[in-house]
Parts: sequence; structure tokens; C-alpha cells
Amino acid sequence: MFQELLSKLLDETAQHSLRLAGPELALTAGIVLLLLGRLLSFDRFVPPHWIALIATMAAFGLSLAVFYDANRSDPEFSNHSFTYFSGLMAFDKFTALVRLFLLLFLVFVLALTVLSGIPDRDDGPDFYTLLLGASIGMLLMCGANNLLMVFLGIEMASVPSYAMAGFLKGRKQGSEAALKFVVFGAGAAGVMLYGISLLAGMLGTGDFQEIGIRMAVLFGNGEGALTDPVRATAIRTLILAVVMVFVGFAFKLSVVPFHFWTPDVFQGAPAEVGGFLSVASKAAAFALLTRLVLALMAAGTTALQDVYLTLGIAVGVIAAITATFGNLAAYSQTNMKRLLAYSTIAHAGYMLMALAAMIVLQSGRIGGDAALGERSSHAVEGLLYYLAVYLFMNLGAFSITALIRNEIFSEEIEDYRGLGFQAPILCVGMGICLFSLVGLPPLGGFIGKLLIFASLFDAGYVHWSMWAILAIGGLNTVLSLFYYLNVLKTMYLSERPTGATTVTFPALSSAGLYVILVSAPILWLGIDVSLVSNAARRAAEVLFP
Amino acid sequence: MESVGLNAYLFVGAVLFVCGIVCMAIKRNGIGVLMGVELVLNGANLNFVAFAHYTPLGLDGQVIALFVIVLAAAEAAVALAIALNFYNNHLTIDVDRGNELQG
Repeated sequence: MFQELLSKLLDETAQHSLRLAGPELALTAGIVLLLLGRLLSFDRFVPPHWIALIATMAAFGLSLAVFYDANRSDPEFSNHSFTYFSGLMAFDKFTALVRLFLLLFLVFVLALTVLSGIPDRDDGPDFYTLLLGASIGMLLMCGANNLLMVFLGIEMASVPSYAMAGFLKGRKQGSEAALKFVVFGAGAAGVMLYGISLLAGMLGTGDFQEIGIRMAVLFGNGEGALTDPVRATAIRTLILAVVMVFVGFAFKLSVVPFHFWTPDVFQGAPAEVGGFLSVASKAAAFALLTRLVLALMAAGTTALQDVYLTLGIAVGVIAAITATFGNLAAYSQTNMKRLLAYSTIAHAGYMLMALAAMIVLQSGRIGGDAALGERSSHAVEGLLYYLAVYLFMNLGAFSITALIRNEIFSEEIEDYRGLGFQAPILCVGMGICLFSLVGLPPLGGFIGKLLIFASLFDAGYVHWSMWAILAIGGLNTVLSLFYYLNVLKTMYLSERPTGATTVTFPALSSAGLYVILVSAPILWLGIDVSLVSNAARRAAEVLFP
Repeated sequence: MESVGLNAYLFVGAVLFVCGIVCMAIKRNGIGVLMGVELVLNGANLNFVAFAHYTPLGLDGQVIALFVIVLAAAEAAVALAIALNFYNNHLTIDVDRGNELQG
């Protein structure tokens, strides 16, 4: 009996699961090679960034191959997600797309670290080990199908990030950033784990598919099901558990009131690390949160419709507060990295609005309006499109900050005066990124915001508060214009002070090429919407069978 | 031997959780804050093991508890290294003394 089970498990793992986990395995192999390089000291002949880059490219290729393979061999693949590693992980178009985003992003980050020279030769293996380790955690996050994997993925992504934040060891600011990050992060993870323990205990399972079924059994259907005292207690405990889990997510996404760490960490850490944290960990956390929320709502228990609606509105209100806070606080910033940190907070708010719209639309769907299912899939599509644009525009802003730092040794906005004419390629690139962050047409950020605001508008038909949040979102877009413009104004309209270092930054260098490679997709995503939005739509539809 | 029931375990877990949160909130010493985190994680772990025994969660709960123990160790290792680095730069481990990054 036991042997039979074991051989079945081994068969499933060898034939099915390991293939799907290919990207993670490729990154792991990269880590092992990097560490062995240290041990056997062949890192002097093979530069560590090449090992990391090849491992990432291999992971990217494997995840493409897995995706095409599944698409070809399984006719059901486009509207169905299948699980592997005995139900711990799920694989579908949504996972595949977010994985591809993350790995593409990782390639860009690796290229940036090579160009900007952080880390130096000695620290290279350590830094890339941490970077790849955090990326594995993020890949696990976007495929997680079990509460255990939720925690495991988040911790695997967080723990290396703490170390990366304090990577420049001798710096006072870096060590302070890392300490703040680790203290807040560990606290949030603890609260989240406690929430997960309550959730798993109440439902008796950690599996995402099972969660919906158990919820349906626990609460039944129909009006007034919650007046029963046992059920009332159960729902109160579950709400407490979900709130605690959301605390963990709010920390990862730097959502108000768990945002304190963001500006400090981004200012203290190197800009390369800030760029990585602000895009990759947000994308993975949003993918995971979407999955978790949909798992909680899967059963469609009508008794819980009001609870879901309240949850959606609460998320929406928090999103609106986050966006407003981020934009207002960015005004008084003099440090570029700190400004970008507040802009990251604001953008987490915008993306959270898409999620709020999705929850509200789903609650309307549970209420009986089946047509809303398609609309909630549009909300996820908007989120994915926004993430795709955000990948390039935020990375662009951070990487240009890093490249400018290498030229003038400063990250203060004040010191950017007059750079516009000395390093045109950097400043035009920065301009494209910042205008896209505002959301001006014809740049990608405009389309992303448009899609999210459209789904908020749809959600307004279910509950009017979504229209209020839409209005706040629109107002925020206007608000954000001024502080982004201020940076460009400093670059272009001020004279370069006498005595300041003259910057010569040729466009035809590898760094110039990099800036072009990062900012061109922002333009492309704003003009040719169809390719990415079709992919995002197909990925989103899988989640709404 | 008579069992004390699920609620007793959950109560102890909740007490540990609250102690941990209070510890994180009021301690100035970085190491003290990390000890608070450990308390919170162990409170959650106790919950998992108790649920594993009394509810259909079964062995899943115990497995999660094992993973959490390992992760807590990894996290503590990184956190202590960062605390040491902070001490090297600031000659104190008081988290309130990290006040260079503000604004």
C-alpha cells in the first residue's frame, strides 16, 4: 500500500511536476553553480553575472517551452488550470504569463547590475545568489495553490531581499534600511502566518480548490444563513484570519498603513535593488493575492455576498488612501530614490484598485448577474497590463537613477540641474518613464490606467462607492503630474551650476542602448495595445471559468 | 489521559501571539524585536499543530509547522547578520537610533 503510493508519487513528480517546475530548477542550478564557483574558485575565470544571466535565460526559455507544450498537448489548457507537486502548485496561462514577466524583468535587472557595477567583483556571487533566490520565491508565489506555498513563497522572496537591501555593508544608511526592512518584514510575516493558521484550521485545508468547497459546506446558501450562532462565530474568525493574511500582503505591496518601510528601504538600498523590489515583488504579490481572493470567493455562497462586497469596498478605500498618500508625500521629496519610493506606493494603490473592482464585480456575480464574470476578468486583464507597463517604466526610472548616480555621484534631485543637455539620452529616457508613470498618452501607463479605471467604472454599477474611488484615482493622476514634472524641470530648465562635473554620456554605449531598450517598450505598449492585452485577456479568463 | 480540547491550545497560541506583538511594539532593542517575531511565529505554529490534531487539517498542519520552524531559523540567521551589520555601523542596536532616513 505504502510502496504503491510512493511509486505513484515519484512517477507523478518525475513525469509531470519536475517539467513544470523547470524555470525554478534552472534558477536553482544557477545558484548552486554560483556557490560552487566560490568554493572551487572558478569564479575568477567565469564572471558570476554570466552564470546568473545564463540561468535566467534558461529559466525564461524553459517557461516558454512549458507554456507552448501545455498549449499544444492539452486542448483544455486555455480554460483550465492544472496542479502539480500533489496540489501544492498550479499551472495555467495566468501563472505562465506572470512567470514570463518576472523572468524577463530579472534579465533586465541583471543587465543593469553589470552596467552600473553594483555589486563589485568580490561580492558578485553573493549578490546574484540572493537575487536568484528571491526570484525563485517570486516564481513560487505566482503559482502557489496552497496556503503553505503562500507563506513559503513570500518568505523565500522576502528573506533574500532583506539581505540585498543592506548589501553595501559599510554604509550607515544601507544597514539602517536593512534593519528596518527585516524588522517590519518579519513582523508582518508573523501576523500573516497566524492568519494562515486560523484560515487553514477553520477550513481544515490549505488547498485553494478545497477552500471554496469547504466555505460552501460551512455557510450554505440563502439569506439569513449567518444568523445561526455557530456560523456567525465562524465567519467572524474567518474575517479576522483574512484581515491578518492581508496585513502580510499589504506589507509586501507597501499599502497604507504598512508602507513605512518603503521610502527608508528604497533610499538606503542601492537603486538597482530598489528597482527589483518595487517591480518584481509587487508583481508576484499581486498575482498571488488575485489567486487567493478568487479561491476564497470560488464557491459563490450567496450567504457571503455582503461580506465579499464589504471586503471589496474596504480594499478599494485602502487603495484610494494609498494612492493619495503616496502622491501627496512625494511632493516634499528631495531625493530621487525616495521620490520613486512614494511613487511606488501610489502605484500599488492604483493596482489595488483593479483588485477591488474585481472583488466587487465578483460579489455582484455571486448575487446572480452572470455577465459580471467577464467584466471581472477585464479587471484582472487591466491589472496584468498595468504590471507589464510598470515593469518597464519603474525599472527605467530606477535604472536611470543608478546610471546618473554613476556619473555625478548623487541621487539628490537638486544635483540633476541642467543634466538635460549634457546627457540627453538619460534625461529623455527618464522623461518617458516619468510621463508614463503619470499616465499621459501615448505612453503605456496611459493604457494601463485606462483599463483599470474602466473596470472601476463597471464595478460602480454593482456599488456606487467604486465610482467615488474612480474619481479619487483620476484626481490622483492629476496630482502626480506635478512632482514628476518637477524632476524634468530641474533637468531641463535649470542651468548646470558652475563647478559641477560635466557629464558626457554617449548614446552609442552599452548603457545608452540599455536605456533605449527599457524605454522603447513603454512607447510600444502605449501604441500597439493588442499583443500584450490579448495575452493578458487570455491569462485572466482562465481564472474565471 | 483526558484531553484538554482544541480551545485550550488555541488560547495558549493567542497569548503567545499577543505577547509577541506587544514585544515587537515596545522593545527598542533590535534583538528584542526579533524575539517578539519568534513568539508570534511559535504562536502560529502551536495553532497549526493543535488544528492538525483536532480538525480535518490533519498531517498538513504538522508539515506546515515543520516548514515554519525551518523558515524561522533562516529568517533569524539573516536578521541577526543584519543586526550585527547595523551594530558595526552605529555602535548600538537600538532601533530608534536608526534615524538617518527620514522625510
